[in-house]
Amino acid sequence: MSGWSAIKLVAARDFRERIASRAFQLSTALTVLLVVGFIMVPTFIDTDTTEEWTIAIVGDVPPGLVETVGAGAGDAATASASEFATRAEAEAELEDGNVDIVIDASGTVIVGNSTDEQLTTLVAAVLASLDVAEQAEELGIDATALTDLFSGGYAVVSLDEQPDTSNGDRAFAFFATIILFMSIITYGSWILIGVIEEKTNRVVEVVLGTVRPSHLLAGKVLGIGILGVAQIVLIGVVAITVLSLQDALNIPEAAPKVLVWAFIWYLLGFAFYAVAYAAAGSLVSRQEEAQNAAFPLTLMLMASYFIASFSIAGENPVLRVASLLPMFAPMTMPLRIAGNDAQTWEVVVSVVLMIAATYGLVRFAGRVYAGGLLQSGSRVKWREAFRASEA
Amino acid sequence: MLEIDTLHKAYDDVVALDGCTFRVRRGQLLGFLGPNGSGKTTTMRSVFSLVQPDSGEVRWDGAVIAPEARLGFGYMPEQRGLYPRMKVAPQLVYFARLHGIAKDAAESATAEWLERLGLSDRADSRLEELSHGNQQRIQLAAALIHDPELLVLDEPFSGLDPIGVQAMIDILLERAAAGAAVVFSSHQLDLVEDLCEDVVIVAAGKVVLAGPVRELRSRSHHRYLDIELAPPAGDLAAAFGGFDIVASADGRVRLRLTDAAPLQPLIDTASSLGRIQQFSFTPPNLSEVFREVVG
Repeated sequence: MSGWSAIKLVAARDFRERIASRAFQLSTALTVLLVVGFIMVPTFIDTDTTEEWTIAIVGDVPPGLVETVGAGAGDAATASASEFATRAEAEAELEDGNVDIVIDASGTVIVGNSTDEQLTTLVAAVLASLDVAEQAEELGIDATALTDLFSGGYAVVSLDEQPDTSNGDRAFAFFATIILFMSIITYGSWILIGVIEEKTNRVVEVVLGTVRPSHLLAGKVLGIGILGVAQIVLIGVVAITVLSLQDALNIPEAAPKVLVWAFIWYLLGFAFYAVAYAAAGSLVSRQEEAQNAAFPLTLMLMASYFIASFSIAGENPVLRVASLLPMFAPMTMPLRIAGNDAQTWEVVVSVVLMIAATYGLVRFAGRVYAGGLLQSGSRVKWREAFRASEA
Repeated sequence: MLEIDTLHKAYDDVVALDGCTFRVRRGQLLGFLGPNGSGKTTTMRSVFSLVQPDSGEVRWDGAVIAPEARLGFGYMPEQRGLYPRMKVAPQLVYFARLHGIAKDAAESATAEWLERLGLSDRADSRLEELSHGNQQRIQLAAALIHDPELLVLDEPFSGLDPIGVQAMIDILLERAAAGAAVVFSSHQLDLVEDLCEDVVIVAAGKVVLAGPVRELRSRSHHRYLDIELAPPAGDLAAAFGGFDIVASADGRVRLRLTDAAPLQPLIDTASSLGRIQQFSFTPPNLSEVFREVVG
């Protein structure tokens, strides 16, 4: 039997046993429900913040006034008109708060205590420009000439050929970092528990009678890893579907380059940490010690996360160094790539180091695994386990 | 043939194996004996590369054991272990497949073993739902599911009830008769004496005695003398106080003598106490041989 078929058998068992377990099915269902709930709940609560402005009109105001004010407010507000015969009537309504502003055609704008400042400014500006247009027409200047007059003949041209989108890209890269962080924390502990379980059950001695430790480790990481990625994808697909049904999809848009790199770093980071968690699990024999064994890894993850979150705004020396080191690179390099801050050689060096470190970790963890698995009782030190096995 | 050749293994200051050497032929059922901590488990683990000896070799059919050869071995460690929450049939199929058996063959072998163990109706139960005895049976089936040509069992009889012991005996005899090399460790020496023609006794990491049980018994320099008097008279234990008394009871005494010991004084002493009902020599039994060499 080749190593690959042993790895496949182990991976298939771990995948199948977990997916068939009630606990996995329940937690997946619950997570999906929570995600859907979080997306749906805001639409049940009225969060409409659009203002409704009512403009009281006394007399004949220039046509299109109210519509122009409404258009000027954009998404912030809508404007509607309410006509009054006398100014006194309109002012009374303003005092009662039933209208937001009064425009008297005789040439007065009356505001109340609660009148929105933006509304006041808009009304004044619109009235002024309508007034200019009216007077210009009386003077025989046509509308086109008037526009030229105001724009002064200057065209606005952007210096960059393409608009700078790196802020959106960085936001996306950070979003990907959070997903990676959560995946590693969740599925890393599955791997940790899975390894410790086999030690606690003592089944590992039977399995290792035929399967090499590095193959058992690789199979375990693959089986649980694939299941984890499948669960993330399922939750992601559900979330995107619900969001797009609501027309509320608002993921930061990213350049394809950023997207591809985020995915590559996800896989690299997941593989590295999954192997590290398996090695950590082989050092302890009891579930209660699981968190102790994983503590150094949790620390590295937290450090990566903090470096990333303090660097969303842009490049800094800590980020630059971290993005080259395998334990931090998966959560920091995507940010630099997104910000166009990373030199090509830096990306190449970082990826090569990452792959080399993962390979080295598989070899190292295979030995730790072999040495640690058969020692039960107290917690085994990394170095002792490494020495205990020369496989 | 399995050859354990001059294995040495030390953990820091503790010597686990100190030149351990013995062989197991195909068709042979070998009892592997020794006190706790004498290196039995370390030796068995080294067959499966679970332990790397500091020096020495383990060979199968003359060659150092390759991972592929190991697929044809069956191993039952002392610390029993299977996946408690995995269902019985998929579990056996999994272990068969780990030994390189194709899926279909693994499934039919599983069905046969469950049938044989009378557990066909539990195929879909989780292992943890089975009784202790039935879990032991599944453990044995997991070690045998691929018809191994070498079977290594560490304390297979520990924790079994008499019915389980008999079932285990039947299976071990059957595997040996089918041509497999079978080696198992045990502390139940009476059972080993009945079951095995050959034994190996280790102490402190090296073999101190090996060979057919009958030969080992007769080769001993000690003889056991059973004397029974009827009717019992006097204190036998006191009368034979100058000898090595192994056991004494009402009217009976068992003495350990070297094979050169003169008999006349014993006969005289015995007949002075009463009428001799029994006066017989026996070679030591396996337990006694064991105590002589490791004691």
